Amino acid sequence: MNQLKPPQNGYQSRIRTSTIRLAQWNGAWLAATALMAFGPKFLWNKTLVFTLLAVGLDVAVGVGMILATKKYILGLDELQQKVYLNALAIAVGVGLIASVPYSVMGSYGVIPFKADVSHLIMLMSLTFVVSFLYGTWRYR
Amino acid sequence: MKNRLKVLRAERDWTQAQLADALDVSRQTINAIETGKFDPSLPLAFRAARLFALRIEEIFHDEDRSSLATEIKKDTYA
Repeated sequence: MNQLKPPQNGYQSRIRTSTIRLAQWNGAWLAATALMAFGPKFLWNKTLVFTLLAVGLDVAVGVGMILATKKYILGLDELQQKVYLNALAIAVGVGLIASVPYSVMGSYGVIPFKADVSHLIMLMSLTFVVSFLYGTWRYR
Repeated sequence: MKNRLKVLRAERDWTQAQLADALDVSRQTINAIETGKFDPSLPLAFRAARLFALRIEEIFHDEDRSSLATEIKKDTYA
């Protein structure tokens, strides 16, 4: 019987670092988006140059966030990748399927408010979280 | 697919977390494999085989194939 401890690869600490980095990118993108959305009205009185700079910053940080997400997913092990990608696929599918009827309902006044893209983002985020939690629970 | 991962781990007195770290996966993945909820990829099966110094088929085996082998044995010795 072998009582030796197995070799360590530091998977948990690597994922922890990677998760923190991804959270930082998400926070940065949220801040850049808030700056782009509210800056023209509250900070620089709709000056075009500043608005364009804010848009450029938002896109640049968005690209960084996408790359950080890709790196994060590639760092996950095969089961966690499966759970994450399943949740992403469901969220994208729900977003795609919901967007067209929602847009039509907005155009023909079926819903009493303006059909806004932020509602779809919220729906997709919520779907992703629920799907991810379900996947994690299923393989717990 | 069935496997002997839990038995091999217990023989060495390793925790799921220790085995997970040795195979560079999460503890959840080890638990899912041990309980038969998730089948590992070939590279992960090879890593497990190397870690335990065994052949892959000594750790993992196909359930259908095992029952087929049992049937053949039964027929042979009937």
